[in-house]
Amino acid sequence: MPVFKAPFNGYSVKFSPFYENQLAVATAQNFGILGNGRVHVLQLGPAITERASFDTADGVYDLCWSESHDSLIVAAVADGSLKIYDLSLPPASNPIRSLHEHARECHGVDFNTVRKDSFLSASWDDTVKLWTVDRPASVRTFKEHAYCVYSAAWNPRHADVFASASGDCTARIWDVREPGSTMILPAHEFEILSCDWNKYDDCIIATASVDKSIKVWDVRNYRVPVAVLNGHGYAVRKVKFSPHRGSLMASCSYDMTVCLWDYMVEDALIGRYDHHTEFAVGVDMSVFVDGLLASTGWDELVYVWQHGTDPRAP
Amino acid sequence: MAMRELVSGGAACAVPGSSSSSNPLGALANALIGSSSKTQERLREIPTATATTSDGNLYAGVEEPFASLPGSELEHTLRPNMQGSEFLQGFRSVDQGRFSDAWDEIQRPQVPHYQGRDGLTNFPLEQPLPQQNFDGPPQRVLSNFLHSFLHSSQGGIPFRPTSLPVLGLSEGDKQCIRDRSSIMARHLFADKSEEFIHGQVNALLSSLDIDNDIRARGPIPGRYPELEEYWNESQGMKPGPLGADGWISEFTQHRAAPDDPNMWVQSFERQHGANGWASEFEHEQSQLASIDQMRGSSMPNLAAMEQTRLLAHTLAQNNDPKFQNSKFLQFVSKMSRGEMTIEDNQFKPVALSAPGDWATEYDQQYGGGQSWADQFANEQLSHGPHGWANEFAAEREQHGVAEDEWANEFSKLNVNDWSEEFERQVADGTLGDASADNWANAYDEYLNEQAVLKQKSETSRGLYEFSDLNPYVGHPNPLKEGQELFRKGLLSEAVLALEAEVLKNPENSEGWRLLGIAHAENDDDQQAIAAMMRAQEVDPTNLEVLLALGVSHTNELEQAAALKYLYSWLRHHPKYGTITPPDQPENLYYADVARIFNDAAKLSPDDADVHIVLGVLYNLSREYDKAIEAFQTALKLKPRDYSLWNKLGATQANSVQSADAILAYQQALDLKPNYVRAWANMGISYANQGMYEDSIRYYVRALAMNPKADNAWQYLRISLSCASRNDMLEACDSRNLDILQKEFPL
Repeated sequence: MPVFKAPFNGYSVKFSPFYENQLAVATAQNFGILGNGRVHVLQLGPAITERASFDTADGVYDLCWSESHDSLIVAAVADGSLKIYDLSLPPASNPIRSLHEHARECHGVDFNTVRKDSFLSASWDDTVKLWTVDRPASVRTFKEHAYCVYSAAWNPRHADVFASASGDCTARIWDVREPGSTMILPAHEFEILSCDWNKYDDCIIATASVDKSIKVWDVRNYRVPVAVLNGHGYAVRKVKFSPHRGSLMASCSYDMTVCLWDYMVEDALIGRYDHHTEFAVGVDMSVFVDGLLASTGWDELVYVWQHGTDPRAP
Repeated sequence: MAMRELVSGGAACAVPGSSSSSNPLGALANALIGSSSKTQERLREIPTATATTSDGNLYAGVEEPFASLPGSELEHTLRPNMQGSEFLQGFRSVDQGRFSDAWDEIQRPQVPHYQGRDGLTNFPLEQPLPQQNFDGPPQRVLSNFLHSFLHSSQGGIPFRPTSLPVLGLSEGDKQCIRDRSSIMARHLFADKSEEFIHGQVNALLSSLDIDNDIRARGPIPGRYPELEEYWNESQGMKPGPLGADGWISEFTQHRAAPDDPNMWVQSFERQHGANGWASEFEHEQSQLASIDQMRGSSMPNLAAMEQTRLLAHTLAQNNDPKFQNSKFLQFVSKMSRGEMTIEDNQFKPVALSAPGDWATEYDQQYGGGQSWADQFANEQLSHGPHGWANEFAAEREQHGVAEDEWANEFSKLNVNDWSEEFERQVADGTLGDASADNWANAYDEYLNEQAVLKQKSETSRGLYEFSDLNPYVGHPNPLKEGQELFRKGLLSEAVLALEAEVLKNPENSEGWRLLGIAHAENDDDQQAIAAMMRAQEVDPTNLEVLLALGVSHTNELEQAAALKYLYSWLRHHPKYGTITPPDQPENLYYADVARIFNDAAKLSPDDADVHIVLGVLYNLSREYDKAIEAFQTALKLKPRDYSLWNKLGATQANSVQSADAILAYQQALDLKPNYVRAWANMGISYANQGMYEDSIRYYVRALAMNPKADNAWQYLRISLSCASRNDMLEACDSRNLDILQKEFPL
């Protein structure tokens, strides 16, 4: 599969939930430490072509597609703002929204796949905020974590339930109808950088940590993890459950690899891709094509490939 | 559809009476938006869902109406809601059926209809400006700095920082760099102590000249942060164990260079002296105090931060070749070793750490050090004269899509321009065969000189880049013409005339010098330095040239080079030559040079030049108050020196006094209305104060006078986006000054 070279360091990559050949990439200059950012919208084909791009005043750490409008993208910007871009509008009218409430860097965004009208932002100001595209201000702020929140992920079944992963070494489960978190999961001894829900079992959640491991938990019985997946050599930056197979997960790490796991089998590590030459920080799986993966990293490259093939193969 | 309807459900809401205030969300909407119809009009609608029913739609329920968000009332009235605990029970219960029933029940109540689009009216939100101001010097310099650093490690692309008079990272930028680096470093060095991470980050920051006066985003709390601070404080009073580590890496790295190791010890003593650390500490303390006043907030624990000026080199311990080749890790490790001051294409080690028992540590860790030495040797190899050519080819392959970046990369090299010009002119036949040959020769010459420069490690920057199609070529007396144009303030024209002069008489030092000054005033330090260096080659003792080179290198943040030229200035000065030591030491230290200049100032307090140099020196050490004082003294002696007013303004801008800076720039412009650099600096100062509209006007004015000021174009672009003038970005990108001038008259 082809490769896309971005001018800045890659931070996140997401397949469109509407079109199998569309992909959005979040990038940041200078490894996200200082500088500008850019959102690229890419078209997959024989070659990867850029459909649109949007510049930001600070690095873009994450993005997500709207689940209700095929042309909307929400970007998490390092200046603490969330920008909403509409691909159907000319660049001059974008972003259509700039939501600036977080006091620190926004590090994660996730669109609700059930109710499809709202999204979450996770920020280094230790909070998670709930937003809808229609409102100029956040609907709620969830402030319980004691350190940076790196990601928040909606439960794929329950419109009001989400999980958050934080540097305070806990993952928390929240219900937006509740005043506080409903469950605190002291999942790792070290910072937790990412979490995701199983798409087939609404009680299974995976957490990825600086301790190099991924742990799978059942929220009904969270005393011991369902599985502990070791194999990455450095902090695991993102974990993502497969939309096609219940026990399949993809992860990427500061060890520059992308790994595929099946937490139900004994030898859980079922694939390792070594194609990035810098930290691999973004990974996603296509909802349309079983086994189609996308990854990006600080080597400024975006790879799209089928599981089992070499990402670098022309 | 307006927000009220979305919130309350509006007329289409399935819940009877929900549009009244009996609906808590409706009440909320009333409270929030009142009855102002104006507010509603201004709300912008998101495009409808109809566009989303594509064949690829996985979710059948796209058209399903938006439910009003449960839980939103919690944001305002945090009433304990017992009903919510159902969720918890649901999770804990084994009975999945009950769980889902509970969910359905909660889901059911309110089902307002999503009405679809009623016109794309105005966007309701005031677009918040980016919190950090990445306008102006910090972002650009840093970016170039980081990138040229990375590239210099792999292929020997000449270092080309931006041509800004001064660099001042704002407090916000510093905080931002520090916080982000700290947070990221913790991901990487999870199994290391917090001190270690501080050490890494501080090394990185101090090499970027970011002082330790800002409290970083702290470590993960819950691990007794108070104790940790106490520990840090106690550690701050004496050199920590990591100090030794830093020494080793520097020591071994230094060994790799063919120098006498003993010199290292001497240099350490020279730089640190007995009280060096203490005075630095005091300096930091006073800085901290002033920041405290500025922010009105407490900034504790300076001692703790100070002790973390310690270095380490764990990354070398990972023997994975992939890691060793990682640009980012090379970057971090180099910075952590304080190698960030690349001068004259050599790594100049900067002793940062506190004295420690480095000798024993060195013995213990010699193995690790060796790999650094190897790496260093490899890098030296890759700096060979052909490095850039490979780089060029490689980059060319990779950059198929990102053409603009590609162009940027190579405009740094100037190769692109040269070859393009060459091709175009040959194709156009605008030049005769002979001149085409000249171009080819010049190009070859360029390559040769480039190689020579590399071998000599003489300089990291490129050669002087001539304009094409110079109407003054063939002029009988281009020097006189150039001087005349320069006097009139027609800088870009003067540049052309002077270029013609030095093409005709390459040995004319005065021609090169004037050319350099014209470029400097035209806000192009790169060319200014190139020209000044040619002037110095021809006449190595010209005082004005030496001073100008010192200033330009200060602008480019190249301390060692700046010190070299400023010191030479003093040595060759008829009045002060006697107070300098007879032989120039191999390595100059800031403290020595500053001391000699202070002596010179005492010797003749009425010599404005000495005060100017002192001001420049204090800029190097970031003692801006002293620098401002020095420039003000010089201005009393030379009140009509416009470039001096500009220097004062730039220094004031650096010490976060942008408002004062604007007054100083105004003085400079009153004296010399065509002073492009002052116009651009004025823009930067406005941008730093968040007055983007004003900054745009000044940038446009500067560009109208010198459309080749690439940096000003970049600042303009940033200011345009910060001012939400995206409509003008295209004009900026296409460099359409007509449109911009019409839109932003000054």
